Amino acid sequence: MHGFVPRFAATLLAVLALGAASAEALDFKPYEPGAFKQLRKAHAGRPFALHFWSVACPPCIAELPEWAKLARRKPGLDIVFVNVDPAADRARAEARLEKAGLGGGTHYAFADDFAERLYFEVDPSWRGELPYTAFVDAKGEAVTASGALDDPALKEWLSKTAP
Amino acid sequence: MKALAIALLALMLGPARAEEASPATGGHMGHMGAAAPPACSEPAPQCAATAEPAFARDGTLWLAYSVGDKVYAAPSKDEGKTFGPAVVAATATGGVVDANGEARPKIVALPDGALLVSYTARPEKSYDGTISLVRSTDGGKSFSSPQPLVDGNGQRFDVFLVSPKGRLYAAWLDKRDAAEAKKAGQDFAGSGVAVGWSDDGGKNFAGKKILMEHSCECCRVSAALGRDGLPVFAWRQVFENNLRDAYVAKLSADGATLEGGRVSRDEWATGCPHHGPSLAIDGAGAWHVAWFTNGKARKGLFYASSIDGGKSFTPPAPFGDEAHAPGHAAIAAVGKTLHRVWKEFDGTTTSILAQGSADGGKSWSAPSVVGATTQPSDHPLLLARKGVAYLSWLSREHGYRLTPLPRPAAAKAARVGTPAALAGK
Repeated sequence: MHGFVPRFAATLLAVLALGAASAEALDFKPYEPGAFKQLRKAHAGRPFALHFWSVACPPCIAELPEWAKLARRKPGLDIVFVNVDPAADRARAEARLEKAGLGGGTHYAFADDFAERLYFEVDPSWRGELPYTAFVDAKGEAVTASGALDDPALKEWLSKTAP
Repeated sequence: MKALAIALLALMLGPARAEEASPATGGHMGHMGAAAPPACSEPAPQCAATAEPAFARDGTLWLAYSVGDKVYAAPSKDEGKTFGPAVVAATATGGVVDANGEARPKIVALPDGALLVSYTARPEKSYDGTISLVRSTDGGKSFSSPQPLVDGNGQRFDVFLVSPKGRLYAAWLDKRDAAEAKKAGQDFAGSGVAVGWSDDGGKNFAGKKILMEHSCECCRVSAALGRDGLPVFAWRQVFENNLRDAYVAKLSADGATLEGGRVSRDEWATGCPHHGPSLAIDGAGAWHVAWFTNGKARKGLFYASSIDGGKSFTPPAPFGDEAHAPGHAAIAAVGKTLHRVWKEFDGTTTSILAQGSADGGKSWSAPSVVGATTQPSDHPLLLARKGVAYLSWLSREHGYRLTPLPRPAAAKAARVGTPAALAGK
């Protein structure tokens, strides 16, 4: 029972956050060639996760609420989301993010349809499979992983790097 | 609790913090239209992301592609060098048209000269698509109004082929059962593979049932005809522990079952590879599969074959230069030659590589570059006419190109690069 009030407060905060986000359209920043390097620079010194997802990827959508939970659980981890869909799908992407409680997060969207180049910059072996995440620790060491957050390797990275 | 409140606050303040962290500052930030606009909106192939080819019996090459909400068909009398005016085959009303490497408008040139064009539209609020078909019986001058392949929705990733007897087969990924399970509160992995067939040129389809459950829901289906005229399909199947491997199966004569087998055990537990396999069947009836995996057991592009209807496959043989992310392979059997093409990317240039095999896939010619671009491009496709194999490829830079592929000399092919040697290069 004693968990009720904090949880209520949290819900209220979340609702407020959602309200603020839906008052104006979600702010997708353009993810262009060079973005990965620049984002790494901008987040240098802090653990940072760059998560790529698509509205056409059911496992990605199913997992978005887990990312919202992760963001709450690990305030020391910077999380940036990148929607890889074409512009025509942006409204749908926004709806998915809001529904998952991520309306207040930091969001980018692919702004270059030469996707191979964007994949390559993150990892030369990435062919575009989703969900896909690049984890960069505070020292700038990057690991990439295709697959869900419950992957043992990802869990290990998270517990080691962003306690 | 304090940490939670701070985390929430951080989430709320996210956008402000992101401004500082943003790599791309400038005037074009901070609105919904931030993504690059389409390069052009003309009804021309080079304004499309994908182009699907089909040769008609009279030698006309037809292309199907979409720009915005319009699906076009365009004819070429000179093997793709020039195209006549594109005709609007359909205007999609049900949402966004699937037009990417894996899911895209298709065109079938039927034996009687009719044309069938398919496209999938996804509604605004879900990814449950509807596959629509339009037909032309006046040589592509006009098309019928769209008819859904299946009533209701949840269908995408269609593929078509025509048997020697003129029966039109269709297969697609179908989420009807997945939706039912979801409604009942049950977990359901992936989609299903459904098959239908038409004896009136695509006006009506029989079957249309889901014959195998738990296909991966975001990879293309590939199709080829068996020697007996029955279709064989390849797709990515979801196995135990979310492992997603290539599967090949043949439709039974009564259309009631799909029978075949798993191509390999790559140990890839994944979400959406967006990377379906490709299938070819040679004159002896052997099945040839090319696929991509990023599994624990192996990573990269692989080839295997089966001479027993999918009961067993040869060991996966790698191909392509793994340093250059080889992917999106197509494989075709044309005459006595097997051809395979695929994409590689070196950070700047996308190359299309081609290899041929004159001995049923045992040995392959040295890879040759048959296309290159520094701009966006479609997956490479293979097409055949009169014993000649062609690369069919659309790029922003070069537009549509149909390139005949050389036939490897049998003796030479036996000496040049085995798959293992290529993998080691």
